[in-house]
Formats: sequence, C-alpha cells, structure tokens
Amino acid sequence: MDAVLLPVGDALYAVPTSWVREVVTTPALTRLVTAPATVLGLFNLRGEIVPLLDVAALLGAGRTGPVAFAVVLDTRLGVVALSATSFPARRMLDAAPGTSDLSGAATYRVGRQLAVLVDVQAVLDAVTAHHPVSPPGAPHTALHTTGAGHG
Amino acid sequence: MPVLSDQQVRGLFAQEAEVRLSHLGQLLLGLEQTDGDRTAVDSIFRELHTIKGSSAVAGLPEVSVLAHELEDLISDLRTGGSQPTPDVVDALLAGLDGLAVLIGIAAPGTPPAPPAPSAPPAPPDVVVEPGENAVSAPPPVAAAATAAGVVMVPLERLDELNRLVSESASAHLRVGRMLSDRYGTDPASISEFNDLSRALNDLQDRAMRTQMVPVSTITDTLHRVVRDLARAQGKDIRWDTRGTDTELDRGVLLRLSDSLLHLVRNAVDHGVETPAERAAAGKASQATIRLHAMQLGSEVIIAVTDDGRGVDLDRVRQEAARHGLGTEGLTDEDVAALTLRSGLSTTAFVTDVSGRGVGLDVVRANVEAARGRIEVRSRPGEGAEFRVVVPITLAVLRCLLVEAGGSRYALPFHRVVRTQLDDVDDRVRAEGRALTWVDRQAVPVSVLAETLGETAGQRTDGPLVVLADAERRHAFKIDRLVGQRDVVLKGLSQVLPNVPAVAGASVEPDGSILLVLDPPGLMQRARHRHTTGEHEVEEPPAGRPRGSILVVDDALTVRELQRSILERAGFSVRVASDGVQALSLLAVEPSDLVISDVEMPHLDGFGLTEAIRSDAALANIPVLLLSSRSTELDRERGLHAGADGYIVKSGFDEGSLLTAVDRLLGGRL
Repeated sequence: MDAVLLPVGDALYAVPTSWVREVVTTPALTRLVTAPATVLGLFNLRGEIVPLLDVAALLGAGRTGPVAFAVVLDTRLGVVALSATSFPARRMLDAAPGTSDLSGAATYRVGRQLAVLVDVQAVLDAVTAHHPVSPPGAPHTALHTTGAGHG
Repeated sequence: MPVLSDQQVRGLFAQEAEVRLSHLGQLLLGLEQTDGDRTAVDSIFRELHTIKGSSAVAGLPEVSVLAHELEDLISDLRTGGSQPTPDVVDALLAGLDGLAVLIGIAAPGTPPAPPAPSAPPAPPDVVVEPGENAVSAPPPVAAAATAAGVVMVPLERLDELNRLVSESASAHLRVGRMLSDRYGTDPASISEFNDLSRALNDLQDRAMRTQMVPVSTITDTLHRVVRDLARAQGKDIRWDTRGTDTELDRGVLLRLSDSLLHLVRNAVDHGVETPAERAAAGKASQATIRLHAMQLGSEVIIAVTDDGRGVDLDRVRQEAARHGLGTEGLTDEDVAALTLRSGLSTTAFVTDVSGRGVGLDVVRANVEAARGRIEVRSRPGEGAEFRVVVPITLAVLRCLLVEAGGSRYALPFHRVVRTQLDDVDDRVRAEGRALTWVDRQAVPVSVLAETLGETAGQRTDGPLVVLADAERRHAFKIDRLVGQRDVVLKGLSQVLPNVPAVAGASVEPDGSILLVLDPPGLMQRARHRHTTGEHEVEEPPAGRPRGSILVVDDALTVRELQRSILERAGFSVRVASDGVQALSLLAVEPSDLVISDVEMPHLDGFGLTEAIRSDAALANIPVLLLSSRSTELDRERGLHAGADGYIVKSGFDEGSLLTAVDRLLGGRL
C-alpha cells in the first residue's frame, strides 16, 4: 500500500496516499478558541482556511509537540490537515505484518519502527462528533486493518 | 476613430435602455404610492424622452413611436389633464413591457406583442442567461445585448477567483517585507510597488463584489407582482421594503427569489382580504405587505409580512387530522408551521395564481436547498409573517477589531452597542458577579480572553466593548481596540464540530487568519461560565468555616445534596426537615443563613420566613427560598414574606446555589 508516514514524537502513523493532497512545512497557526483540544488551529493554505488536527490526541496517544509539518488531506467535507513532528515521507508498505494490541489496527514494519494505519474517515467523524476516537477497549476505533481511501 | 456599425449602436442602445427601463419601472411603481409626485412625473417624462431620441438614432422607429405614445400619457399627468390612477399606471407599465420586448431585453415569458401587461421584467442587476435573450429578442439586437457583456459565470469560478486574488495580495505583502528585510528598501518608496498595491486592492474589492448582490435586485420584481395581482383581485395593497441594501451571496439570492415570489403571491392571494372584508373587520382598507431584510451574524433574514387574516389555523388542524396528525397540545405557532410540511398544504396555502400550484412545502424545500430555514408566525385576523433565514457563506461584514489575550478578533459591528473606558467608579457587584453601568443599565462584565478560554487570570486595563443580542447586553474587557474593517466571513470547515462563540474566519491581507466571533454565542458562554461558577466562585479558604447555614427541606436527597455542596465549599451545615424543626434549631443557635424549601409539612417555607422575620433575635438572618414553583406570583409571595432570594429548583445547580449563597453572605462574613 502506498502511504504517507506521519511521525508524531516517537510514534509513527500511516495515511493512505489517496487521501493526501500535499505536505506543508511549519504552517502559521491561529488557535481556534473554544474548539476541542484535538483541533490545533487553523492555517491559510493559499487563501483556503484549513483546520489542523492533532492526530495523536485523536487516537488517544497524548498530544503532538511542536508542529513541524501538516499533511493536507482532501475529504468529502473539505480540506483538513494532520500534524506531524518531523518530515512525512512517502513509503510503499508491504502486507500488514501485525495488528496493534491497543486498537486492533494494522501495523507495518518501517525500518526499526512500527507504523500504525490511520482510518482517516473515522478520525474525521470523531472530530465532527466531538468525541475522542478509540478509548482503549472501545469497539469504535479509528485504527483499522484496512485503509479506506475516499471515493 | 472608426464609425460604429448599426449593430454596435443598437448594442449600446440596448444597454442604455435596460438601465432606463428599470429606473422607469421603479418610478412608475413609486408613482402609485406617492400619488403622482411631480418630481417623479418629470423624471418619467425625461427618461421616456431620452429613450425616444436614442431609439430613433439606433434605427428602431417602432420603439420611438411607442415611447412617444407613453410620453403623451405622461404629458397629460404633467399638465394635470389626468391623474395617476391605477389604470393609467397599468397602461404605462404595459408600455414599458412592450418597449423591453421591442428592444429585445424583455424577461423570458413576456408576450411578444406590445403593449400587454404581464410578467415583470427581469431584475436588471441579476445575471441574465444570454440564451434567454436570444430566445425572446429580435436577432440583431439580442446578439448585441449578449455581446455587451452579460456572461453566466459558475459560482465556483468566482470562488476560485476570489481566493487567488487574496493570495496574490498576500504574496505582494510578502514581497514588500522581503524588500525591506533583505535589501533595506522601504517598499512604499518604490512607485511601481505602490501601483501594484493599488491595483491589487481594487482587484480584491471588485472580485469580492462579484459574489454579493443587494436584496433590492429582486424587490422590484416582487413589487410588480404584488401590484399586478392586487389589481387583478381588487385588493388595495401597499408594498413596503426595508433593509433591501442588505447584501448576500448572489447564488443564495437567486435560489431564494422563486421562494420569495411564492411567499409574496401567497400573501396577496390568501393573506390579504378584500377592502370590504377588511372594513367589516374594522381594519384599514389598504393592506400592507412588507419585505424586511437584515443581516444577523452570518445569516440573512428576509421576512415577508402581511397584515391580512393570518394563517387559517382551523383549516390546518383539519388537514392535519385528515393526514392522521394530532395537533392537540400544539401551540398556534406550531400549527402554523405545519403548513410548511410536505403533503399538508391546504388549499389556502397553494399558490394557484397563473396556474402554477406550488405549496409552501416546496418553498421550504427550496429554502433548505439554499441551506436556509423558514419560519412562520401568524396571528388570526392580524396577519402572518414568513421568515426566510439563510446563511451567507460569503458576506461582507463590518467588524470591530479588538485584541484580547494577545490575539486579534473581529466582532460583527451590528452587535456592538458601544465601547467605553472601564471606569472603576462604574463597577458594581451583584449576584456574585461584576457589572458596570451602561446607559443607566447594569450590564455584566467578563474578560473576553477568559470567556474564550485563554490566559485566565491575566489582568488587562483595556476598555470595555458592550455587545447585545436580542435580549440582553454584556460588556467584555479587552486589551485594546484595533479599528474597524469590512471582513469577508468564511464559514469554518464542515469537519469541525460546532465551535461556540466563533461565527467564522477571514483571511487577512498579510495571510494570517482572523477569527470572527459570534456575539450571541459569546454572551451565552460568558453567562454559562458564570452560572456554573466555572470561574467566578472563589475557592473556599482552608481552616475556619466560611459561615453556618441551616438547610431546610423535607426531601432527604435535596437536603443531603445541598449539605454536600455547601460543606465542600467550606460552610458548616445543619439540616432540618420542616419549618417547625428549623425554628427549634435556630432557637438553640442562630445560623448565618437559612436555605429553605417552600412546600413542607407542618410549616412551609413562606411561614418559616415570616416566623424568622418576626423574631427579633433571628430577624437579620438572610433566607434563601428554593422551590419547584416557578411562577412570578410564588416568587413575589416569597419575597413578600421576607425572603432575600428565590431559586427555582429546575434551574438549581452547584454554581447558582453557591453564587446566591455568596451574594447573601458576602457582606456579612
């Protein structure tokens, strides 16, 4: 599977390339007051106002540190971006070698690290509904064994 | 300079005539309402005279002849030979329609042969499809009109254009910064740079305007419909508009125009009574249909109001029953709203004028397609109001720019009552919160940054901005005022949840993002923070109890709930299950405060309060009544008995209880 890898601190997440429009370096963020903590802020992408989501917070894995990159996704509901703390590389992932103990999502070996596949649609639904994705043990999870691109 | 071809001359004439005919239409409709105002008559004469002259030059003798005939009619008015009766105005309006057809700028559906009164001309400022002209107009002139520059542009393309223009402007700013940072040159000293700045500013302004049109672009059409229909039905109706300079997205307005047309037809057709019926009902014989447009936050409200008979509620109930819908327990307003439901259009709500039977449910569907909503208010015998509320995804919003907590925010100007210095002498406290005097009214004060959840506790000595919604006012303390500006409000991404207190955002010229706050949401948030005690209620000091409270309630749960809340807040608490027990406890040792239920066995809350007030040893103890009775009468009775406060149980929560307690004990401990 063709994916973009999102390094967030020590962790590594993978997003299917079909979602990704572009990668932006250190976007100038405007904090969106009164929004949930999973929304890191808004930035201007050539005149478009794009919300930046904290992928780590959404997956219940703590908070993202200083945002170095934003991976811009095209979705049915408009453009959104996910945060990354270092450069998001594009990588061909082999068949899933395992699943995450925490969420049951597919994990891929990338060098000496494991990348966890992000179910983008579930992440977006969670933001819209304003509830965190996949509290440990919950049936609803944003981490799935197969990545669904958008149609 | 080359001589213009005949076709070019006619093209120019068509452009000129379109503007003049539109103006003439307005003047004629106005004539009826101003009863033949002399200035208007003169203007009409001048316009017709000009059309006559120009059409002769353009080689359109039949236009010239018709214009001349109309001119004669007006001449009679000028000399006083005739009066601007509806018949005269009918003839003049029909003549205008005829001119439009002859010139080739008539709206689709206008009959080919002049003069004949019929459908209104197209609103001049709305984009007209070139194809429509081609159908209804004589070929050479129509081609010229099309060539004159009326083009259908998809809205997405305009969106894209706007975005790119803003992006160019911000790239230009960045170049300016680069010039000064890297080369030490002040960009303002370079005339080429300044030329480009000006051009980009103008471009940005024009590009933005391409999307926005005032509501007035469709009101002439509506006025004409009302007038013609009223005449046909023998009704006397005055058309009135307000706020028609309210601008909204052209796409939204175009989608709405049909719905508004139906609402207006409905009002004439079914709302307004005949003069005889009105006289019998003791109403003025002339009815009024009013269109009132206004912008509220990121929405535009267009209300069509008539002073006719109102929605026939009985009939709606019958129809609802026929469809198996129960209307028991529904308010009149709810019943009126049923007319908007699919399948429930009673004959009274079907617009069958001109054979186009369209029910209000279709109007609703159209409004909802424009991401709006429709509401009905009706008073039997007094009239009905249909309100169409649509969002403006792209609206020019005049805003006050402020800085709070180190960030910049925009506040929609129409919600700003005033700004004033935060004078310590104006500050008062009541119910545990800070207030300030604004026009002799005490208005609550909050720190804007804190309300937004930013930098709690940081002091600022900036001014106050007083905001208002429909019901109340609220003052917000800010760091400083920055200025005022028109901003183009963009909605936030649909991915985001509803963000309270934020109406949208705007991209600034320097590329940064400016948040536009939503004053009603902001005020609600400030009130909520206060009532839940999220911020205002102080932490209890450790050690010595803050005071002693006697809680009186026959319900164990309520009693114990109050006890736990109050003890956690640092009070020492005693409890009693009725008034008699409370009095005996107070006889042993008075409390600093009594909180009592109203309905209790043996001695109720009113009785207990009266007993406390009549006992000299206890008379100064404040009493707070807590009741499930919420009527004003109960509250008055409690206060009459001598209570110092009255809390309704349904609105009871920890914050409001502690706030009330703090207020009553504040000065004593």
